[in-house]
Amino acid sequence: MNRRDDNQSGEVARTVVEFLEVAITMIVSLKGFYPSEAFERRRYMNVVVQRARHPELRDYIHSAASGLLPFIEKGLVERVAVIFFSEDNVPVEKFIFKVTINTSSAGLVEEGQLEFALRSFLIKLSVSKSLVKPLPQNCRWEVTAYLRSLPEVGSSKEGELWIPTDTKQWQKPPVITPVKSLNSEPLCLQLYLEHPNFSEPQPHAQ
Amino acid sequence: MNAEILGNHDIEEKEVTSEIQSTTNLHSASDNKSVHVNGKNDGKSIATVAGSSTRRHSTLEDPNFVENYFKNSRLHFIGTWRNRYRKRFHGSSNGLKWADSGQNAAEIAKKSTIIHIDLDCFFVSVVIKNRLELHDKPVAVCHSDNPKGTAEISSANYPARAYGVKAGMFVRHAKDLCPQLVIVPYNFEAYEEVADQFYDILHRHCRKVQALSCDEAFLDVSDLSDVEPEFLASTIRNEILETTGCSASAGIGGTMLMARLATRVAKPAGQLYISAEKVEDFLDQLPVGTLPGVGSVLKEKLVKQNIQTCGQLRLISKDSLQKDFGVKTGEMLWSYSRGLDLRSVTAVQESKSIGAEVNWGVRFRDQQDVQHFLQCLCKEVSLRLQGCEMIGRTFTLKIKKRKKDAEEPTKYMGCGDCDNMSRSITVPAATDDVEVLQRISKNLFGSFCLDVKEVRGVGLQVSKLDSADLSNKGSRTLKSWLSSAPASVHIEQDDNVFSAAVRENSDYNRHATGGVSRLQESESAESSIQSGDTNSSLPPMCHLDMEVLENLPPELLSELDGTYGGKLYELIEKKRGKRKINSSSPHISLDGTAAGIKELKSIPVKIHGLSTSGEKEYKEPFVPHSSIARTSNQGTIEMTDLMPSSLSQVDVSVLQELPEELRADVLGAYPAHRRQQSSSDVPVETCKKQDEEPIDIKGTENEIGFSCSSLWFGNPPLWTEKFKVSGNCTLEFFSEIYYKVAQSRPMLSPVLQQAISEIGIFHDASANELDKAIYDVCELLKQYIKLKVEGDIEEIYLCFRLLKRLAARSQLFLQAYEIMSPFVQASISEHYGGSLSIP
Repeated sequence: MNRRDDNQSGEVARTVVEFLEVAITMIVSLKGFYPSEAFERRRYMNVVVQRARHPELRDYIHSAASGLLPFIEKGLVERVAVIFFSEDNVPVEKFIFKVTINTSSAGLVEEGQLEFALRSFLIKLSVSKSLVKPLPQNCRWEVTAYLRSLPEVGSSKEGELWIPTDTKQWQKPPVITPVKSLNSEPLCLQLYLEHPNFSEPQPHAQ
Repeated sequence: MNAEILGNHDIEEKEVTSEIQSTTNLHSASDNKSVHVNGKNDGKSIATVAGSSTRRHSTLEDPNFVENYFKNSRLHFIGTWRNRYRKRFHGSSNGLKWADSGQNAAEIAKKSTIIHIDLDCFFVSVVIKNRLELHDKPVAVCHSDNPKGTAEISSANYPARAYGVKAGMFVRHAKDLCPQLVIVPYNFEAYEEVADQFYDILHRHCRKVQALSCDEAFLDVSDLSDVEPEFLASTIRNEILETTGCSASAGIGGTMLMARLATRVAKPAGQLYISAEKVEDFLDQLPVGTLPGVGSVLKEKLVKQNIQTCGQLRLISKDSLQKDFGVKTGEMLWSYSRGLDLRSVTAVQESKSIGAEVNWGVRFRDQQDVQHFLQCLCKEVSLRLQGCEMIGRTFTLKIKKRKKDAEEPTKYMGCGDCDNMSRSITVPAATDDVEVLQRISKNLFGSFCLDVKEVRGVGLQVSKLDSADLSNKGSRTLKSWLSSAPASVHIEQDDNVFSAAVRENSDYNRHATGGVSRLQESESAESSIQSGDTNSSLPPMCHLDMEVLENLPPELLSELDGTYGGKLYELIEKKRGKRKINSSSPHISLDGTAAGIKELKSIPVKIHGLSTSGEKEYKEPFVPHSSIARTSNQGTIEMTDLMPSSLSQVDVSVLQELPEELRADVLGAYPAHRRQQSSSDVPVETCKKQDEEPIDIKGTENEIGFSCSSLWFGNPPLWTEKFKVSGNCTLEFFSEIYYKVAQSRPMLSPVLQQAISEIGIFHDASANELDKAIYDVCELLKQYIKLKVEGDIEEIYLCFRLLKRLAARSQLFLQAYEIMSPFVQASISEHYGGSLSIP
């Protein structure tokens, strides 16, 4: 990989991370996890978005997203999930960002083109309230990244912010609701919702 | 036969090691213990080896080499032991009955309790059980204790292991580590006796016993609710110790995996119970390499990803494991790291393959040596088949060929550093007949085109087994071959680097039974050959289609030749001279076979000719130059592989110039590949617009699924044209809509959207036409899903919601929707591990 490609995919990775920070904030705001006063309207890529006003919340989201940068640059990140849990720590809803950056074909990417595509994401997200489930009592949320392989320990400082998760898994495959897909070389990004599958009848109790 | 020719008398004095690989593979015997058996025995234990003092140690010296070789093999013992076991414990029909109940393994697994029991260093303990003076001394089993110490140790007891002595080690090295090491020879009779006692005890305590080997078994004790499994295990172990004088270790767990892992910790002479609660703790720190099925290669790959323990392995999702290691291995890693194991304890299963392999002492000087060796090997395999009362259809010949520059191996007469090659042939009628085996193996051997001096090991495996008594009713003669399934040759070399398949022409029967054929002009004299001993149903020779004949596998051909009294080859030879072969499928050289049959000395074989030039020439106009080099490198002869492997390599301008029909053929012939990005995202302009410019379809990656996305190839995609001329008004209408709304954005959803808004009522066609239209729509959707599933499920989601709305108004779309729903769910599940919600 020559120098330029390196910069190129690094550029894409940085854009994705920045985008994730905005998108995660939007999701948390969309879910009404915090009172609406906790957010303020801002413009990002010329779209109205939400931004956390509380510094700790802002920092958490920022550090989560930027902590992913080294892994995204290496192409290790497969999915990033914003997971909402019920009181007993069982996930009730997952927002999944499926990220694929094609480092090899990172030819000439126009910044504007990628931004244009990402903007449509944010617009879609801002009107997706109808898709999401109401929050249960006493819930919590976290950001989880699914990596393609385990990162090397101590490979970077930011990386250390991430810890292995003990998130419980669903017994049955989830129900998927796509929100937005974007295919703009070299980035393929999809956002979809996962909900636990209750519709199927339980297998015989015995 | 020609033992006197070999001059090298030193060989006699040299230490002799024989390595043997019994190839009676059992489904359950998954752990490949490589076992080494010394050829030269001190005569004590193997009285059966007549004149072992004069025994010669390679194929060069010993005409009975193969026979002797197997007499001294431990693995041969293990292999044949299985038959013994099967006959002894499963002679009655109850043996397999409970095996079926284990089908719903997942559900049962919850409550099941499995005991894995293993005799401690079986091969040593049995030998020393009556030699008390050796009990606490380091002892190893090896067939030879000569001073040179170049024999390999087969098994060592725990005192010896404490010194670092391991199986597979040279005696010399072992004695460096432990000078007082006692080497004892095998005692096969005692092994047999102890193994029988061992299984007697197991079967007495438990109905569900799965024998893994002569010294190792699984017990399923889930239904024995009245006994504590730990108590049962210790009872069994005590009984084994009392009866056999050998100690056993046991592991108890909820799955076969956990039981086995527990035994490893429990050894020697102990037992360990891993309850369900303790599984996770137990696995957390367990190195991945200790999992069954994780060999050194896989382990290395895992370590590269910083996965050392099962605990770390658990952190990785199943789909990424499957992506990195393949579906099966990924699944295995995922479940093993959680202690899950869906296998259930089953009775000894039927062998999947039976065969024999000799990798030691193999040295040939000429074809004659080879022929003789193959004859002996086939005899052995045939005997093994008969011993198991099995017959088989697929014959695989494995060859170890000395690697270029490989030096003479350290192990005397060993195989050293070798390339492994294997080729197989499948015949329609199963057999255990030694003559057929010999003929087949000779042909297969010939097809390798080897310098016989380079051969270091030969093995013959028979698979696709059938029980012998069952298939007796199907005759094994040519007659059944003529009227049954096509025979095929499959050739493999170095793990599929080179593979070729020759198929019998499907219309062979038609020709062979006397249909009009191109050969009818052949000399009438030859038609008279059909007479006497020939089966009356055989067509006269003049009716045989030469092309078909040439495409037959040599094995079949030689059989056929036999029926025609050997005249067939002559005919073929004659014809060959007259006519240039332009068949599109390759021929495994007939002359090779003919020569192989008639004069054993030279077996010229033209497997190289497999990539037929005729075909390539035919295809060349369609493919860009870049791909031709690639194609010819690949030894595969499937038609599709002569073409570029993906859309990106197709010169579109060429493609567009083709008549539509041909184009469709070419497109249809593309192999299915996984795609990454839809072709429609990067539309390909038709050549009418830009003839001279090579069209950039790089964006489509190298992986465009062609056969699966050909309807969506191009812009407008091919389906629009297809629909336009379909004669169905709905489809025609769709085609029109596409031109109207989707040309700038080649997606399906705008088309469906437009259709909903424009069409008030659908006029469904007649039933006949409807079926056709449903099929077309489904095909379109199917290809579209494949195209989009990886990168754009939003579009799929959108289309199916729209389709659902259309389904309310039209029978056509209702049916298409119903047919496609399971398909889309399966695709989504495969890629995303969930089901699509379609409100």
